[in-house]
Amino acid sequence: MNVSALTHSELGFRLGKAGIFIQTGSFITHLQTSIPGVAEGIGLLYADYPLLEQADFADFHVSLAPPRNLRRWFKPQVLFFFDGHPPFKPLPLDQAFPMFEWGLNWCVSSQANRYLIIHAAVVEKGGHAAILPAPPGSGKSTLCAALVNRGWRLLSDELALVRVSDGKIVPLPRPVSLKNESIDIIQQYEPDAVLSRKVSDTMKGTVAHMKVPAESIARAAETCRAAWVIFPKYQAGAAARLEALPQARAFMRVADNAFNYSLLGVKGFEAMAGLIDASLCYDFTYSVLDEAIETFAVLKPPAI
Amino acid sequence: MNSSPLVLQAFRQADSLISLSLADWDLLLRQSRSANLLARLYVLLDERGLLEKMPPQAREHLEWSHATAERHTQAVHWEVGQIQKALVKSGVPIILLKGAAYVMANLPSARGRLFTDIDIMVPKESLNAAEAALMLHGWAATHHDAYDQRYYRTWMHELPPMRHVRRSTVIDVHHAILPETASIHPDPEKLRAAACALEGHEGLKVLAPADMVLHSAAHLFHDGELENGLRDLVDIDSLLRHFGSIPSFWSELVERAVDLELTRPLFYALRYAANILHTPIPSDAMEAAKIGCPSQPTRALMDSLFTRALMPVHPSCSDAFTSGARWLLYVRANWLRMPPLLLARHLFHKAFISSKTD
Amino acid sequence: MWQAISGDALHIRFWNDEFVVYNSLSGDTHLLGASAAHILLKLQHTASDVATLAASLASLMQAEMDDEFLSQTEQLLAGLGKLALIEHS
Repeated sequence: MNVSALTHSELGFRLGKAGIFIQTGSFITHLQTSIPGVAEGIGLLYADYPLLEQADFADFHVSLAPPRNLRRWFKPQVLFFFDGHPPFKPLPLDQAFPMFEWGLNWCVSSQANRYLIIHAAVVEKGGHAAILPAPPGSGKSTLCAALVNRGWRLLSDELALVRVSDGKIVPLPRPVSLKNESIDIIQQYEPDAVLSRKVSDTMKGTVAHMKVPAESIARAAETCRAAWVIFPKYQAGAAARLEALPQARAFMRVADNAFNYSLLGVKGFEAMAGLIDASLCYDFTYSVLDEAIETFAVLKPPAI
Repeated sequence: MNSSPLVLQAFRQADSLISLSLADWDLLLRQSRSANLLARLYVLLDERGLLEKMPPQAREHLEWSHATAERHTQAVHWEVGQIQKALVKSGVPIILLKGAAYVMANLPSARGRLFTDIDIMVPKESLNAAEAALMLHGWAATHHDAYDQRYYRTWMHELPPMRHVRRSTVIDVHHAILPETASIHPDPEKLRAAACALEGHEGLKVLAPADMVLHSAAHLFHDGELENGLRDLVDIDSLLRHFGSIPSFWSELVERAVDLELTRPLFYALRYAANILHTPIPSDAMEAAKIGCPSQPTRALMDSLFTRALMPVHPSCSDAFTSGARWLLYVRANWLRMPPLLLARHLFHKAFISSKTD
Repeated sequence: MWQAISGDALHIRFWNDEFVVYNSLSGDTHLLGASAAHILLKLQHTASDVATLAASLASLMQAEMDDEFLSQTEQLLAGLGKLALIEHS
């Protein structure tokens, strides 16, 4: 049964009481909140996610609620709680749903040490995955959103999970976060894309989240291997250009973009080496989305 | 209040975890995580070869925390080596304390124990030399506020924590195990005289076994940082189990407590380790430790405060009185550390200024 | 005289002429060019002095072994020492 089986009011009711248990990739998330904005976001963007009725266990118990202070009524705020502890300062109540997304990313990236976790998008076609590491300003999410609407499967928008034991990429398909101009760009690029409402004045600017295609969620248990590591860079007016990146350099740059590379010690080193070894590495500059799609369409996987 | 939270059950009798339901595991993992004991739980099960018998969902989380603990141990070894290098030329004798000591001495209490700072003790007259040597090697002072500086240097028993500019690791340099301003003064010279050299690590020492236990007890029951209360009690339990096999240990423990004015913390340590974690303690040692026992009303009060405050900070381990208990013990701890006038000034200043830097 | 740190502690992988080195004692990862890697690998094998290493490097790079080259080799060694990959023996 998926989240969509619940009516809007049933969903709001359950969230406000005991909360709901959702399957998010290989993790079970227990979410409890009475904040309407979060319920809306869940109803819209998590419609196709499995809802677990008899859940004895969750990997992450999270909740969102206003802080207990005088601000309850004047410029209301929201806190993200991880098993009852708030790891972050409060944000304006309006940002509750993005805060849920960021909070859940934090839960995974700060704990799930079975994986080498890279701050990157991962998309897949034909059994081969492209990892797109993402320093801010790279346009990674825009590119990811576009690819996902042109036949690529979404494995993840923010967190690439490379399983340390065998190097496979484990999907964590969750709503794609878009910022500022990207929101309108993607809506125009794919009018059928389902976007949450815009939330302005966040620390990342104006944000919105795009619903993941149902197929990507349905295939969330399907792992695969990386074939390409591609560093995207949006550059106004630039023609789409792929430049080969020496692998040792790619290694260091990906390590710089990983949350737990250092924490994993020698296993992290070996997982990274395996990933780089098996991949063709590139810097990618682009400005026109269609050109980017074209470039990706003709990517050749490495020779075995 | 829950008569015994799952986390206590786990530490009292790890074998019983085989029959735990998935729902219970969910709760146990959360309690352990709150108590900073998740990695320790992994160790407990690993040592008994029980990991494979646990549900895979639970095992997943235990493995996650184990990765962190392994890296932590590696980092401590390296950091202690760097500290050694920095201080060797200055000739300052170093005694490692707490977590760093457990790791370098390869004690069972080191496994799965996570901590943030490295604590060392040096003679009071060597503080300046130690600070200078550390700064030369990349550590920088923190807490630049003049009040905080005085708090640490004059009133407490340490330099303000120093952070390494490149590695961001923190070292706390103490010259005693309790503050100058406290009412009891365990003599650092006595601790130093009994300290044990570390094989393979020139110039580094750790406290003698009885002193290690007493330091841990003093830290927990006198110094008052209860956030890691259960974790610290687990340390004490582990140290007692490990050293307890040495025949002369128990009598030495009590004698040493008398010598160092630490009979009260020892009394509490043995009492609560036995009550809460079921640490095996010889009855004659318990009897002898009663010299540290406070009057009946105090003891009853402390029982009700500590049995609550030593639980993990988790809703499943609290009752209506738990946060009050924590608050009272926090005040008590500061009371024990500082005379009333100083305390008032300190708490006022802390509240007024410190939140700016939070 | 220089030597590399304990062999077990160093993990090395390379692609073309560039090397990544993981030091399991410090937990640090380093990117090394061919010359630095050559020196490190030689020192893993046996302890050596600057002159020997410079000569080996010169022959590898088909360069002339002059004072300038020697001085650059010294700098390379100092750099590797600072990274705690090698130490004086």
